[in-house]
Amino acid sequence: MEQDSVDSGAQIDPLSNPFASLDSLSPDLSSLNDLAMRGAWRSILEKVSRSRSLDLLKQPHHHLTYLSFNVLALSKLRRFADANSELESLQDLDGSDYRYETYPKVYPGRSGSMVPFSLRWIHCIIPIKLGRRNEGLDRLYKLLDLVREKLEERKSNSREESLREWKRRELLVINTIIGDHLFHKEFSVCLDLIRNLLSGDCLGLDAFLLSELGYIQLQIGDLDGAKGSFSQVEGIADKEKSIKLMNLVSRNKALIYLVGKDYVSAVREYEECMERDHTDAVAINNKAICLMYLRDLSDSIKVLENSLERVPTVTLNETLVVNLCSMYELAYVNHAEIKKTLSNWIARVAPDDFDSSCTRI
Amino acid sequence: MSSSQASHSLAFRVMRLCRPTLHVDTPILVDPSDLLVGEDIYDDPVAASHLPRLMGGLKVKPSGDAADLSYRNRFLLNDSTDSMGLSGLLLLPQAFGAIYLGETFCSYVSINNSSNFEVRDIIIKAEIQTERQRILLLDTSKSAVESIRAGGRYDFIVEHDVKELGAHTLVCTALYDDGDGERKYLPQFFKFNVANPLSVRTKVRVVKDTTFLEVCIENHTKSNLYMDQVEFEPAQNCSATKLNADEYHSEETSTTRETFTPPVLIRSGGGIQNYLYQLKSSSRASDQIKVEGNVLGKLQLTWRTNLGEPGRLQTQQILGAAVVRKEIDLQVVELPTTIILGRSFSVHIELLNLTERELGPFEVSLSPDDLPGERAIMTNGLQKMVLPKVEAFGSRDFHLNLVATKLGVQKITGIRVYECNEGKTYNPLPDMEVFVDLE
Repeated sequence: MEQDSVDSGAQIDPLSNPFASLDSLSPDLSSLNDLAMRGAWRSILEKVSRSRSLDLLKQPHHHLTYLSFNVLALSKLRRFADANSELESLQDLDGSDYRYETYPKVYPGRSGSMVPFSLRWIHCIIPIKLGRRNEGLDRLYKLLDLVREKLEERKSNSREESLREWKRRELLVINTIIGDHLFHKEFSVCLDLIRNLLSGDCLGLDAFLLSELGYIQLQIGDLDGAKGSFSQVEGIADKEKSIKLMNLVSRNKALIYLVGKDYVSAVREYEECMERDHTDAVAINNKAICLMYLRDLSDSIKVLENSLERVPTVTLNETLVVNLCSMYELAYVNHAEIKKTLSNWIARVAPDDFDSSCTRI
Repeated sequence: MSSSQASHSLAFRVMRLCRPTLHVDTPILVDPSDLLVGEDIYDDPVAASHLPRLMGGLKVKPSGDAADLSYRNRFLLNDSTDSMGLSGLLLLPQAFGAIYLGETFCSYVSINNSSNFEVRDIIIKAEIQTERQRILLLDTSKSAVESIRAGGRYDFIVEHDVKELGAHTLVCTALYDDGDGERKYLPQFFKFNVANPLSVRTKVRVVKDTTFLEVCIENHTKSNLYMDQVEFEPAQNCSATKLNADEYHSEETSTTRETFTPPVLIRSGGGIQNYLYQLKSSSRASDQIKVEGNVLGKLQLTWRTNLGEPGRLQTQQILGAAVVRKEIDLQVVELPTTIILGRSFSVHIELLNLTERELGPFEVSLSPDDLPGERAIMTNGLQKMVLPKVEAFGSRDFHLNLVATKLGVQKITGIRVYECNEGKTYNPLPDMEVFVDLE
């Protein structure tokens, strides 16, 4: 089949456009994607297994895509050892097996790596989740080097879209690294890394990043630092009024009130968030926490129970459930019963990757 | 009144209410471009012109009130900062945890009526008991709680600043009429231990005329401590200045300077931080510290941990070095440049009274040799020179006649002053080296 010249303005025959839809990228990809959106990770494992056995995967990149879904599903189901085995079945991610130019008949005129980037990222995360933190952290830093090499190669010659994707990936890796240091309470490193990001040329002052900085400062106890960071966020939000940013500013304010033990004002901020966006799960959860500190255990339980009923796909997360169970344990001498009711409901509604050990039954 | 052996309608439930924590956990979330296609596909210009629309369409949330029945938030990245895993979600304290001296103990207490009957006239008390004392936190004797219905609750929050180390017990008691009209008494005990969060080590150093106080703070807690305030409060006649090393700050842009001041954060489990104070006497006479009983002052420490949880401690009085004050001093006014062996020479000395009282009379002499024959320079003439009284802050000149008995570099040493009234001996003059020549 003749392919048109490689130029952004080129027209492609819509009937054979390989980028028209998900399914034209890889067989049944829209179905896989849909299952992932619904959190049906076990179904994904079944589908991958079936597709492989029925030999439906014809092109080299099909195998990689399906493998990525498999690894992702196993990881979401916390089967990290299995995910690791699956990953190790690939020889060398940088080898010629996974490059377009190795198959010129299948990918005429295309060169580069066909490895989905999330595979590389999960490859770093798995050792961390398996308790081999240093190995994982090393991999993350090496991945950062690789991403930066790719960025350098593309800065001079390449297309904007490609550059944008790699910049996004650079941010992804750096944020993951910061998160790992944060988890291990290595605060000085976190502050340095965020400082680099904030002063970097590509980013500018990002409201969300500044808010994260504020949260870390709050964790340390540096209240003045946090206030400074949050006021910079307000400055950005003033120029760009969106609900997302307005809620961010409110939630940040609420945290400052909470730290000052002014729980009433914190609750008020969270209620404003919920009015603007009834799916703001952080505001809902945190409002319930504040009610506890206001001696209102009954209402804090109601807030969480209502949110699970009304918007479960947004509020059903392990942290919220842990909080609700803590409240049940305080409110009821015989809390086993009510936790069981909750647990049964979760089993019917929750996605496959929900960690039900959070109910502590 | 029944004892606590009988079954109770009421039960106390407690939960420590230290600050909540901001939950941190790396989520497994992906961007569609990182999963559905190869990483270098955007290098292909055809792909680059078509994929963004396709991928972008996957990330769009259903608008308005249309119920989103997908768990997309558990699959797709919204912002790049999502992968940091710090969403801002708060988590209630999950365990009692450690509690340290200087912190505030705060607890949610809930009295549950798990029976099928209403209980009435409930008198509730909560107190903290330690080895040394009992502190009442709550007492509803004056206005008893009227009733708690079946399945109902009465809640309260107690707070107590922890000022003692060791075993503490939160004692909660309820005196109530149960469903049968029987007056019952329910005591419940919740024990916890208070540990020492810090150790403070001090060193006092006197360098020339200035007194320095070195302070080393070591963190024994399980959290990093953000030191809000480490202030030295000097005793009455002193002033103190904190000395800071010139810190090297890597290049700061104007944006980051507003965001950052490097925090003083003492690492958990053994981290240390040092501080240095310069102490000055505020009394007029001299730079020497004159202190009563050598008390220099005390340290005030305030710190914060997670979400600003505060702690505060004061040290005991810090004592200065054993002898810091000089009462009298000798200063050499004039010493001859050439000293000839065997020939008498005169040293012009001034005696200073540094106290605010009259001292004297004095006897000035050379202290006896440790080893006879060792001393090269001896007094010529009277072994003791008597000086009359010297008034407060006053001085007196005198000349000491000495003779050298050996050649070469020799020391004038051992000049001592005996204060006859108080019977004290001073050796205030350091050794002086002179060169003894022949004719």
